[in-house]
Amino acid sequence: MTATTPAPSIGRSLPRLEARDKVTGRVEYVHHLRLPGMLYGKIFRSNVPHARIKSIDTAAAAALPGVYQVVTIEDIRKVIPHPYYGPAFHDQPILADGKVRFAGEPVAVVLAFDRKIAEDAVALITAEYEELPGIFDEIEAMTSDVLVHDELKPASTFPDLQHLKGRKGTNIALDYQLRRGDTEAGFAKADHVFEHTFCSQQVMHIPMEPFVSVADYQDGHLTLHTASQGPSFVRIEIARLLGLPENRVRVKVPFLGGGFGGKLYIKLEALVTALSMVAQRPVKISLTMEEQFYMVTRHPCHFTIKSGLTKEGKLIARHCEVIWNGGAYADIGPRVTQKAGFTSAGPYDIENVSINSYAVYTNRPPCGALRGFGAPQTAWAYESHTDMIAEAMGIDKVEFRRMNMLREGRPQASGTPLRDAEIERSLDHILDRMNWSLPFDRGSGTIKRGRGIAIGFKGITAPTTSVAIVNLFADGSCALYIGTVDMGQGSDTVMAQIAGEVLNLDAASIKVIHPDTDVTPYDMGTLGSRSTFHMGNAVKLAAQDAMGKIADLARELGLPEGANLPLADMLRKKYGMQAGNIIGTGSFIPDYEKPDTTTGLTKKGTPFWGVGAAGAEVEIDIETGAIKVTKLVNVADVGTAINPKAVQQQLSGAAIMQLGFTMTENMVFRDGQLTNGSLADYKIPTLLDIPREFINEHVPNAYDKDGPFGAKGAGESTTIALSPAIGNAVADALGVRIHDLPITPESIFRALQAAKGTPLEDCA
Amino acid sequence: MASFELIEPQSVEEALVALDSDDPAVRPMGGGTALMLMMKAQLFAPTRLVSLRGIGGGFSGFSLSGDGETFCIGAMTTFSELEQSVEIARHLPVITQTMKTLANVRVRNVATVGGNLAHGDPHLDLPPVWTTLGARVRIIGQSGERVIPVEELFVGYYETSLEPGELIAQVLVPVRPDWRSFYAKVTTRAEHDWPALGLAVSVLPEGERIADVSIVLSAAVDRPTRLVNAENVLRGSVLCDEVLTRAGEAAVAETDIETDNRGSSAYKKQLLRVHLGRAIRKVMGA
Repeated sequence: MTATTPAPSIGRSLPRLEARDKVTGRVEYVHHLRLPGMLYGKIFRSNVPHARIKSIDTAAAAALPGVYQVVTIEDIRKVIPHPYYGPAFHDQPILADGKVRFAGEPVAVVLAFDRKIAEDAVALITAEYEELPGIFDEIEAMTSDVLVHDELKPASTFPDLQHLKGRKGTNIALDYQLRRGDTEAGFAKADHVFEHTFCSQQVMHIPMEPFVSVADYQDGHLTLHTASQGPSFVRIEIARLLGLPENRVRVKVPFLGGGFGGKLYIKLEALVTALSMVAQRPVKISLTMEEQFYMVTRHPCHFTIKSGLTKEGKLIARHCEVIWNGGAYADIGPRVTQKAGFTSAGPYDIENVSINSYAVYTNRPPCGALRGFGAPQTAWAYESHTDMIAEAMGIDKVEFRRMNMLREGRPQASGTPLRDAEIERSLDHILDRMNWSLPFDRGSGTIKRGRGIAIGFKGITAPTTSVAIVNLFADGSCALYIGTVDMGQGSDTVMAQIAGEVLNLDAASIKVIHPDTDVTPYDMGTLGSRSTFHMGNAVKLAAQDAMGKIADLARELGLPEGANLPLADMLRKKYGMQAGNIIGTGSFIPDYEKPDTTTGLTKKGTPFWGVGAAGAEVEIDIETGAIKVTKLVNVADVGTAINPKAVQQQLSGAAIMQLGFTMTENMVFRDGQLTNGSLADYKIPTLLDIPREFINEHVPNAYDKDGPFGAKGAGESTTIALSPAIGNAVADALGVRIHDLPITPESIFRALQAAKGTPLEDCA
Repeated sequence: MASFELIEPQSVEEALVALDSDDPAVRPMGGGTALMLMMKAQLFAPTRLVSLRGIGGGFSGFSLSGDGETFCIGAMTTFSELEQSVEIARHLPVITQTMKTLANVRVRNVATVGGNLAHGDPHLDLPPVWTTLGARVRIIGQSGERVIPVEELFVGYYETSLEPGELIAQVLVPVRPDWRSFYAKVTTRAEHDWPALGLAVSVLPEGERIADVSIVLSAAVDRPTRLVNAENVLRGSVLCDEVLTRAGEAAVAETDIETDNRGSSAYKKQLLRVHLGRAIRKVMGA
């Protein structure tokens, strides 16, 4: 322990521990890694969305000088007899196995010592397909005879999916339901009933560091170097695939160049492992930016929401029918379906709620976790619906929300009470920053202006575990061993701040050891805004454990109470030289009650509530539909902001990402083929698209009693309410409602023309 | 990507010899910004690239002709050189204006005037502008040289009238102090994007009257296209809503606009109507 007392760590905008290394280009990424004898793999992909594979001709590719080997599923089966993986369903083959289920699916891999040669060789591979009818739309897939999979194969790790095992003749991978009260009776009693449908499009994560993994398999041991958000999961799932004990699979993860949920579960890891086993050499695969569109994406969502109200405007019944287009492989889609389904009725106090949420297979690229885990798609529906109801009933939109808002202690749809969730203060904060009570300029000439607000919330994946180790060396310096992946969100810094606060050490002096499953303990994954809360608690417990051991040591050494001898001196006293360690461990799992299997009800369904609110001002040219978001305010309840600067960056980053998903980003398919799979044609927002006034703040003095020092997650909250705030602003400006994302100039112009009774002719 | 030969001749003669091949994978290269993308996307695998960087002569630099009537711009002039030129800003202000939204600084620093024209991509911003300015190109080949209007360079989607082995040497732009020009880059997705519609207009105003006019549409069509019927509606007319509406309808009627990811045909026709009217008003100072 240092003699001087460092400044308190919590609430301090400590600069990122890795900032200097990052800006000087010294940070380690998997991208840079080269192992001796390493081969580069390049993937040959299907160019049809649904087909039986009749033959694959790899002869010309294999004959190209410099090619080491061309690998298909037949080669992989020799080393992994059951080559299927997935976090929820074991439905995804390591390479296409007799069938392809989406255009872009990996069919074969060329291995070569030179990447360029591998790329050239891929162009020489041909495959013959017997094309099958494809199914791309989630609504059609619900009832279609075209089946993406013959049989459902839930993974044994999810007990709540076991009833689906062996189910045949369906594309519905999961049918989640929640039943609270009597919705039908509620609608019968209601004075007004409203029903609307909203859709969200397919979008993608676009981390600036594309997927990259290296596998090195030798003599029954495997080392994976991978850009993964979930090293513990990778180890467990790869060990299962290979039939190895966990201690034979080592997963190392350095910094990531962004993840956003895409780099969770198994991505390239199973493929490079199989390739390394086949080739008996280290193998690396790095995807291009363009190939990322075929790895994992965000679910398109079709949501019909129906509400019953009293004549005073009190919500008394709501039914949510939510259909998620999961693409060809389930990935974590069934969990998105459940978790986003769970909060799909919105942050409102409604006596009677029923929710059906379906995960549906289609012949599109797979969909999985993406920042917000489905909550943004559901909020797009429920908060657009909220404004439409208020308008139709002639009630002020803010008052209508206040009248029906879920308040502290009241049970949410699942029965889990709202706790430490600043929904109303988030709304108040938005109204203040939007100057809501002041007169508003509605534009002139061909320019119309409008403004809108929205609120939203999300539950957090549960129950999940984090384990942390604090190691104090013989000189009193500290290292923290955690499985949390710093992918740009600043977790290294925040975890060091939590440990520093307990250990009374300067956070900047603490070394954070990056995930290496041989060294760092278990963590469920860096996902779903869970790290600050779960790992933060584990780190706090580990640090407290270490402090307890230091106190024990003081007693053992016979030191008087309050002697305050530095740890280095105590260890020297004990061992007679600079030697020894103090090891503190902490393990955290939140309280959780499994939802009832038929009603979905639970008293404790989420470790904490993620809360976000948004306000937007827009300017629209009514002759062209051209839209500018001129002001955007995002507010989140993050509990205590452990590092306010890092929180602010998370809030603005999440908001910009969701702004792209609202206005510009859209994976466009024609007959199952992606038509804009490059950054030239799939438009992420640039600085020019950021609103002139762009305000991102957290609710001051919020506190979560179960969080470390009152903190909760901050990575996703500002994704939730942004889209409907903009949609509501558009409706406010024009009096027309956009139901489908993205909100484009053309969709606005079409809506305007339709409202005038002179609809624009359909797209050719 | 297989390896290829990259050569950098020091004279036009050497370049023409290096390009004298029946192999379609032998190509000249200006700044390489378009070629590199095509190579990365595996759309083009060269056997030999002939960089024109070092050939000098009329290919580099730009200046006003002795009679002050023509701006001669070497084909290897980079966009940044044009963008930063005081002379260009004075005599061809629409070029300076167009540069602001054209690609980005890194691209403008290397992309060349000649390469941009020879690429034949209908989404590029400068070709419609050169066309509306009445520019011509000087083309050099083994069999000598010829000068043609820029609009005759474009014969289809990524197709030009250049013969194999021919090089664009210069762009010759008439200096017309009485004319006013404007380029409308209309994007429909992110602010910074390929245009859904590129619209270049030049007018010779006479008070409220449009004495003469040139209108060129790009991006929404397969090549930069003069909107002759719309020009005829406007030419000699006094600026008013009714004339602009008729010009917009004429423009829509004379073009074949197809649906793509930047907008449906019907929507892009609406954009054409609106932006044509706005562009004409702008150059007429109304």
